[in-house]
Amino acid sequence: MLKYVIKRILTFIPMIIAISLIAFIISINAPGDPVERLTKSAGSEGTADEQSGASKKEKQEIRKKLGLDLPIFYINISNLSVSDTLYKIQDRSHKDNIKKLGHKCGNWNVVSEYYKSILTFERKSKKLIAEEILIQMYPEIDSNQNRKKLLNDINETINQIGFEVGSLCETSEANLIDLKLNKIQSFIDSKSYLTHLKTDFEKTKKLRGDLISEATKWKTYIPTILWYGTKNQYHLWLFGNGKDRKGVIRGDFGISYIDSQPISSKIWDKIGISFGLSIISILLAYLVSIPIGIYSAYKKDSKTDRITSLVLFILYSMPSFFVGTVLLLQFANPDNLSWFPVSGIQDPTIFDPEWGFFKKLSHRIPYLILPIITYTYGSFAFLSRIMRIGMIDIVSQDYIRTARAKGLGEKKVILKHALRNSLLPIITVFAAIFPMAIGGSIIIEMIFSIPGMGLEIFTSILNKDYPMIVTVFTLSGFLTMLGYLIADILYAVVDPRISYK
Amino acid sequence: MDKTNENFSFKKYAWNQFKKNKIALISLYLLLFLVIIALFAPYIANDRPLYCEYEGNTMYPAFADETRKDSIFDENGEFIQILQYDITDWRQLNLSKVIWAPIPYSPNSMDRYNRDYAAPGGKQRYKSPGGEILDIPNRFRHKLGTDGIGRDLASGLIHGTKISLMVGLVSMGIAALIGIILGALAGFFGDNKLKMTRIKYYFTIIGVVLGIFYGFGFRKYEISNGFNDGFASGMWEILISFVLFLIIIILLRLISRIFGISSFNKEIFVPIDTFVSRGIELLNSIPRLILIITISAVVEPSIWIVMVIIGVTGWTRIARFTRAEFLRIRSLEYVQAAQSLGFSSIRTIFKHALPNALAPVFVSIAFGIASAILIESGLSFLGIGVPDDIVTWGNLLNLGRQNLEAWWLILYPGLAIFFTITIYNMIAEASRDALDPKLKS
Repeated sequence: MLKYVIKRILTFIPMIIAISLIAFIISINAPGDPVERLTKSAGSEGTADEQSGASKKEKQEIRKKLGLDLPIFYINISNLSVSDTLYKIQDRSHKDNIKKLGHKCGNWNVVSEYYKSILTFERKSKKLIAEEILIQMYPEIDSNQNRKKLLNDINETINQIGFEVGSLCETSEANLIDLKLNKIQSFIDSKSYLTHLKTDFEKTKKLRGDLISEATKWKTYIPTILWYGTKNQYHLWLFGNGKDRKGVIRGDFGISYIDSQPISSKIWDKIGISFGLSIISILLAYLVSIPIGIYSAYKKDSKTDRITSLVLFILYSMPSFFVGTVLLLQFANPDNLSWFPVSGIQDPTIFDPEWGFFKKLSHRIPYLILPIITYTYGSFAFLSRIMRIGMIDIVSQDYIRTARAKGLGEKKVILKHALRNSLLPIITVFAAIFPMAIGGSIIIEMIFSIPGMGLEIFTSILNKDYPMIVTVFTLSGFLTMLGYLIADILYAVVDPRISYK
Repeated sequence: MDKTNENFSFKKYAWNQFKKNKIALISLYLLLFLVIIALFAPYIANDRPLYCEYEGNTMYPAFADETRKDSIFDENGEFIQILQYDITDWRQLNLSKVIWAPIPYSPNSMDRYNRDYAAPGGKQRYKSPGGEILDIPNRFRHKLGTDGIGRDLASGLIHGTKISLMVGLVSMGIAALIGIILGALAGFFGDNKLKMTRIKYYFTIIGVVLGIFYGFGFRKYEISNGFNDGFASGMWEILISFVLFLIIIILLRLISRIFGISSFNKEIFVPIDTFVSRGIELLNSIPRLILIITISAVVEPSIWIVMVIIGVTGWTRIARFTRAEFLRIRSLEYVQAAQSLGFSSIRTIFKHALPNALAPVFVSIAFGIASAILIESGLSFLGIGVPDDIVTWGNLLNLGRQNLEAWWLILYPGLAIFFTITIYNMIAEASRDALDPKLKS
């Protein structure tokens, strides 16, 4: 027995690792740059110039905090052409593009030189200031109108160059690169104030040529394994770094893209409602379905049994979102019956957070009736069917026949001998409560606008708040496994017939 | 009745058992009806006429390609106009003879005069070919009402049928393929029947790694470019990658034969059952809806991707049943006979054992289709994963939720989903009872 429990727990651990890996893979493949998302959500005000200047440093800090300057995993299987320093490139779209270039060219040195030369060129071209150029190049201009026109002209050119160079970092198509280079070339040739950029540009162009002439495509065919050690994103995500990041195993799931709040505190705020709701409805479902299951098993193949079976079957096929919406349509609609409030769990004009527990509860009851019905009916149909099948199985067992043979009353046989054993399969279902608190109620909470975990998941999906989504994924996987573990152990404890040798 | 053993076939017996269940039989006919609706959806609900005569030209617009363009000349050969089939408002043309589709609206065509949730029995407006706004003639009435932007609900339901059935079929097709193969291998070989020489075993593992490297890692840009071009070409690239993957594994296994050192040639067991069982356990321990939602939040919205995700996450049940069947079958005489005759394992599995293991698999596929349809409509109800411009039952229902006054948008799509799921569940349950009387409850 103890041996079984230990063995069971030991299989639990690799599963958890596997779940964490899947979650991590999903999180790093989520589209978009997390740093961009976080800086955008912070929403600092000010002119565009100030923002880009201030946020560059800010971005670097966030990047460091998120660990994005680290390699992704302990090891990386790639090919000879990829350098082990690729992860140091910060901008995500640049990194993807450099990878692509590396894949095409195969010569990492040339690719990185090329990339660096573009960056240098970009930095220099950003230093151009229209006013200074104007004073230097055309000191004799006095008329205001001419001045404005020239200034506009120069600004336009600078912007154009900036745009072309910027997009150069994100293109790997050969003809697109050439197109952009030609455009910049034509600017440099025609505008005299751009001559000092010429040397840098020539260098870029030469390296562009090298990309083709010094390509070592064969290198991309040879796989290599790179070892990074524990300083990687996965390790940081899972275990933290002992300073500002605590890691998933200590309950630190990162920060939300929407409001930069810690995910764990957000979940903590919301989970109570969902958990309460699922506990109430599961208990209700058990209360109704166990008697129904027993009764229809006891009266097996009678007319009542067949009718209840059919009704349960139909209920079982009814999608919860349909039932919820119909309930809303029928009972929370001024056009039909306005018995219940439409949405939420409390009336913000009356509700007072200082109230005691029971006052709060009685205030919330009308809000909760429809959701609980929606929540309950599906699991109720499911549980009744399981209960009935289990009971039928038990009633045909030898020990029940023995109990009858020794003259026990039918009631006693069913309620004392059969019931206890038929409850066993239902234990397994109880394990489903844990994950349900986290995710099972997405649809119901969305229909009734209940501010619990389900609605939180729903909004975070709409807003593409990936840290939240991944956290929910990890937690619900973990909790389901925990549920199965507990159910298995309970099973072993309760049912002496099962031996786990 | 005088039935000898020779005439007795299990299929016949199962079908007779199935036929006894009247509700299931009706469900089967209803399913057939749904399939017909889905197949003929473009001719049942279309805003282009099935047949019409315009200025002496006979046309069959509903059967033509959507993007077709026709130059119209009158009887004297004089040019009148260019008709582009998909943007022409056929109702506004002076058609001398016309047969409309039973529902004269396409699922995405917006009726400007019946915007803002026109009720089925309520007032609906219509612009006649003469240009005046009238009460709608019965022929053009939106029999089941419209949504907020004037799309016809009945048409949406008809076309939604196609998507629902397709979701069930495609996703469970994928799930069945994965589930049957993995379940059969796990059940047939178990942990201690698949023997390999040690060198071959290690080379296979290396082959898997290299296969992933060359097949998928090396071709990742081709695959992503393929998906940018469209779903079909993306899947094609994946198929190429997969074939490459297999070729590399086979190649390495062939190479391993060169090594003749005796210590390498000791035979070891491949614990294939453990691999598959752990995989099933892992996938089962992630709540399916959460898994699907998480993945579809990361990828681009597309109905095909939703189908693939549902399929890839839904094979565990099928694999479990197949595995259990194979565990039973592998010790039966005829399988042992096949093996002692020297047939290869692959042949024994797929030719001899599999046909006899399919009964419970069929049942779980039927249940799986029901839950696939449920999941897809749940996803499109939430607006996750399924693009907005595809009309499905789920997102029609969601439109109703947003505007409770439009009860028809709640009732009809909801009933459609409910009936389809019930039909599949009924068929599944009846066939379970028919195929395996032991399981009957």
